[in-house]
Amino acid sequence: MSERKVKREDPAHHTTDAEVLAASRKLTRRSFAVAAIGAAAGFGLYRWVDYSRDDGMQPVRLRRAFQANAALSRKVFDERALAPTYPASRAENLRINGLIGIKEAILPESWRLQLVGAANEKNFAQYVPDVTTWTYEYSRGTESTEGDHFTFVPPEPVVNRGDPIQERAGKRSRGLEEAGPSYSTVSAGTPGLLLAMADITRLPANELVTEFKCVEGWSQITHWSGVRMADFIEAYPPARKPNGSLPRYVYMETPNGDYYVGYDMRVCRHPQTLLVTGMAGKPLTQRHGAPLRLHAPTKYGYKQIKRIGLIVYTDLKPDDYWTKLGYDWYAGL
Amino acid sequence: MDIGNREETPAAPPVTLRLERKHLLAIRWMHWINFPLLFIMILSGIRIYWNDSDNAHLHPHAVYRIGFGSFTLVRIFPESVWNALHIPWHVTQGMGDHFFFMWLFALNGIAYVVYSVISGEWRFLMPRRGNLREAFQVMLASLHLRGGQPLKKKYNGAQRIAYSAVIAMGAGSLITGLAIYKPTQLHYLTTMLGGYEWARWEHFWLTIGFCLFFLVHVAQVAFAGWNNFRSMVSGFEIKPTNEPSLERERRSWR
Repeated sequence: MSERKVKREDPAHHTTDAEVLAASRKLTRRSFAVAAIGAAAGFGLYRWVDYSRDDGMQPVRLRRAFQANAALSRKVFDERALAPTYPASRAENLRINGLIGIKEAILPESWRLQLVGAANEKNFAQYVPDVTTWTYEYSRGTESTEGDHFTFVPPEPVVNRGDPIQERAGKRSRGLEEAGPSYSTVSAGTPGLLLAMADITRLPANELVTEFKCVEGWSQITHWSGVRMADFIEAYPPARKPNGSLPRYVYMETPNGDYYVGYDMRVCRHPQTLLVTGMAGKPLTQRHGAPLRLHAPTKYGYKQIKRIGLIVYTDLKPDDYWTKLGYDWYAGL
Repeated sequence: MDIGNREETPAAPPVTLRLERKHLLAIRWMHWINFPLLFIMILSGIRIYWNDSDNAHLHPHAVYRIGFGSFTLVRIFPESVWNALHIPWHVTQGMGDHFFFMWLFALNGIAYVVYSVISGEWRFLMPRRGNLREAFQVMLASLHLRGGQPLKKKYNGAQRIAYSAVIAMGAGSLITGLAIYKPTQLHYLTTMLGGYEWARWEHFWLTIGFCLFFLVHVAQVAFAGWNNFRSMVSGFEIKPTNEPSLERERRSWR
């Protein structure tokens, strides 16, 4: 209702109480009609947003809001800030929270880091024409998971069917957890580097005590040791594209391909992003992601992948386990 | 418009009622837009909070509880409450809504504050000296421990305090929310609020504050009656001509 109309019906012009009441009734009818239209429009907006087509278990309009928020965050913050650090005495024992991709115990001596997309890879002694032929070995049986947390698992997990090509080759299918296989994984015949632990630990050692934050709503101050991801990228730099630009993304997955995460290259170059080999002054345990995991204080824990088997420098936005289950790809803190 | 002059004229017919323009159009819109937005923010927030309560038995003394040190009187919320409200396993739904509607909630809140300042309506709302005492009298009167509400212009002391507080709480929710949303990039803000866990605690209890405000507000509106409620929709309240005019008050600011 326009204020002009209201002025026209100004009580000063009414000569009896009955006229005042009549004017009020008219205003009331009109304003409640407008209110009903407004309420319907509001409800319509809500339906339009929340009941839009699904995109990775998130209505696509809410997914776009995640992406718009991420784009704004990249513009405004550009991953510049350093997370606060704490004295090591304040560090706690980090919760073990989710074993997707690492349910079996890996034999440490069978571990290699597959690196795809490095510049001049043929010049490295660690070059192999097909990184996927490397076989990871697991100890018989599985580590106990008693007392662990599987908070992310919804009440009815979807069981994915095995991949017949893998199974015919005598290999375990990849991507057997709820989100299924990754579309960013590398196919057979992909050349790259097969790095041993010594190739990583030769980089400058770093200690960091930061607050680890889980999207579930808990946080713990944690003492990490390892090497800077930035130093790793320096030592094994990504290949430039023909136009001279560097790939924008980094993709990582567990050796069995069940858990996988995508990152902005910018985040991997953040000085506090660590390739972690130790926690609380001790070597990393299997359930914390031994032999090598990621810590990034600019991200929630679900982006801090445990037991990295493969790193790919890529220009295609990589697939991401929790993004498929409704979470935000960016997850930037 | 000037009722006083009309009444001085002997020939004027006996008008005892007038329509008081109580709530301006923009304020009414912003109030009613805020209502579903706040509801969505609270519901989606609870859905996010739930995730911290999952497997609570493993971590009984986390942030959302009533207790001290390692003593927890009650977790917020007990299992039965979560289940009754159908909260469990809607975390991603909560995050999707929270990080979309937060923009509308923030914009509406900022627009309200800016409009209140520009229009001068803030003068009706800002608590003044003596309001606490008046609020106490209002409370006694509401509980029928004392007869007669104290005189007021637009709002009594209790209303001034409550409505101003709820605006400040809205600002607090935005600030603590930002500190939780970007605790690394905005770590100065997060640290100022006492750190990440404290910021979460503050955000949570502000939300509980909104819920309590809502209960009291709805009850008071119900007791105040239709004439008052309608004025939040139509803008006008029917008042006796001899009561002080809000329009005259508004004109006096210019």
